[in-house]
Amino acid sequence: MTIRVQDPGLETTVQDTGRLGYYSIGFPPSGALDSFAYHVGNALVGNEPGAAALEAVYLGPTLEFTQDTVIAVTGADIPAFVDGEEIPLWESVAVSAGSVLSFGQLRAGARPYVAVAGGIDVPLYYGSRSTYTLVGIGGFQGRALRAGDELAIGSDARDPKAGRRLNPSDVPVHPSTAEVHLLVGLHSYRLTEDSLARFTDTEWKVTPDANRVGYRFRGAELEFVPREQPFGAGSDPANVTDCGYPVGSVQVPGGVEPIVLLQDAVTGGGYATLGTVVSVDRDRLAQTKTGDKTRFVPVDLDGALEVRRDRHAALDRIRSALS
Amino acid sequence: MGSHKITSRTPGVFYHRPSPDADPYVTTGASVAEGDTVGLVEVMKTFHEVKADAAGTVSAFLVENEDEVTIGQDLVELET
Amino acid sequence: MTATDTDTETRYDFGGDEFVYVELSPAMSLPVHFTSLAITRRLAEEAIPGVEEIAPSNASYMVRVDPDRLHPRDLVRELQRIEGEVGSLSDDLTIASRIIDVPIMLNDPWTHEVLMKFRDRHQDPTGTDLDYGARINGYSSTEDFIDALAASPYLVTMMGFVPGLPWCFQLVPRERQVEVPKYVRPRTETPERAFGFGGAFAVIYPVKGAGGYQLFGSAPAPIFDGEQRLPDFAENDSVVFFKHGDVINYRRVDQAEYDDVRAQVDAGTWRYSYKDLEFSPSRFLADPDGTNAAMKEVLYG
Repeated sequence: MTIRVQDPGLETTVQDTGRLGYYSIGFPPSGALDSFAYHVGNALVGNEPGAAALEAVYLGPTLEFTQDTVIAVTGADIPAFVDGEEIPLWESVAVSAGSVLSFGQLRAGARPYVAVAGGIDVPLYYGSRSTYTLVGIGGFQGRALRAGDELAIGSDARDPKAGRRLNPSDVPVHPSTAEVHLLVGLHSYRLTEDSLARFTDTEWKVTPDANRVGYRFRGAELEFVPREQPFGAGSDPANVTDCGYPVGSVQVPGGVEPIVLLQDAVTGGGYATLGTVVSVDRDRLAQTKTGDKTRFVPVDLDGALEVRRDRHAALDRIRSALS
Repeated sequence: MGSHKITSRTPGVFYHRPSPDADPYVTTGASVAEGDTVGLVEVMKTFHEVKADAAGTVSAFLVENEDEVTIGQDLVELET
Repeated sequence: MTATDTDTETRYDFGGDEFVYVELSPAMSLPVHFTSLAITRRLAEEAIPGVEEIAPSNASYMVRVDPDRLHPRDLVRELQRIEGEVGSLSDDLTIASRIIDVPIMLNDPWTHEVLMKFRDRHQDPTGTDLDYGARINGYSSTEDFIDALAASPYLVTMMGFVPGLPWCFQLVPRERQVEVPKYVRPRTETPERAFGFGGAFAVIYPVKGAGGYQLFGSAPAPIFDGEQRLPDFAENDSVVFFKHGDVINYRRVDQAEYDDVRAQVDAGTWRYSYKDLEFSPSRFLADPDGTNAAMKEVLYG
């Protein structure tokens, strides 16, 4: 039983919860950028929590199913159709053999997810089915899908059923100005006080250079505190002695165009970082698109942990309601 | 005779030509068939071809080369 | 100089809700790195529930924590305790290491072609990266600089950026260490297996891609093998070859030997030559050149 890719969209990849545990040899986690949409999709179709799904961006793929199954489209607000009939988002839908899933023009958000009962069956690579295209490993042949690809569907769905629906009040909205929580720190002392304040005061615009590796923003210039550079760092004021980068950390090479590192990012390097986006708020970044605005709202550690706890509690409640 | 606007399906940067040294895909006054490429939108270092979704004659470009565009933004006007 | 003789002011900080970042010093030095190694080794042995991943790096380290099981502030207290305990033990620290022969062609045609394309992003648009590195490090000729780059082995003090990339710190006293800035603006292109240098670190780029390090040469043998086709990768069941704590001896080769290694790689028969050894930081710091000579003796006999 397979899915035939008729049109891959812009960049559609197989993703799961990610490849954790290999950061120290340079593997970023990869995995679904919008973790909430991914987990709810699996819960809707009755999969175990770690089943692999498809993540698209801006343009949905066109997919043909060769056998009856159950699917759910979550994430971005985008019209989805089965054989030309619009289907509800955030709801499990039965599709029959020969049916074709297609998408219209994105209304809000950036990344739709397609969960399929049984999950996408690709080989595990270092413990995960997630695609990491930068070095060409994981997922379907280590790359984004192409027309003509045939994806196997797994057979271990727990309880596939059409008609499961996410409570409308739980459906995330995708405002054109996203707010994400930022724990300021790491090498924030390298920036002047004015610049740090400017960073959290500015409405940053998402540039076209925004993908699974990271999001680059425009909106203000930031200045570094002059210093004699420590040995090992290199002479540029944006440089520090090469170190690990937390997933979600923010760097500002040259003081312009800050970059938030996401799930396919480099794991370390020599640019000063000024803080880290709280993990659950990467979901929100994943649903912003080129041209959208983002504000970074400063929180302390307790605030960051509270945001995390609230979001995880909501997901737990949703999962038990759907099971 | 009517007019039809070709819109962008992705956000990104609009280009008139396939590469900096190449001729533009189409110029004002050119006739295009449905499915013809009329420009490129670059996003995430990927180039997405903008295709005419109707046949007609190009009457105007509604964005400049290298303008940033949003989803649904009008790019090219056709007389149909 | 001993392993404990450092002026570090350790800085503990939180990388969001899931990471703790510990900077032992803003500057790189071997004593600081060895302290970081001692702490992360101990942390791994203690297997504290909630510690998900430990990533040692040059003069710092990072821990991924599950804050639902271990509060990041409690983790910091554990790390401070461990730092206090291992500080006095560092003289006895030894590292299970390997000394590895890594052929390298310096001033090679492939990186030369790429670096000439990006002169507008470089500090010195008129010369090459090697000429620039030689000049700012006070060498009278580029050839002398190349000799120095390959004269003494390097320690792998960090892995990452992309899978398998080793940050290598040359095992020589500070006054003989090379330091160069990164490109003014990063290149959009770096050849696969390029040998680069940035800050005080040499690297080999495992795959082609963007990059900001000075380009000095090219390695004929792969350091990342996603399909584990070569025996070094298949037998170790790993897609990356280098490990944190390895000692790398970059050995200059000419184009004929470079081509010969490439042919072995293509035939699937290439193997690195290496020997296991116990690396003692304190012994090294007491006698760098003597220790290097002894390690090369182990490798080449």
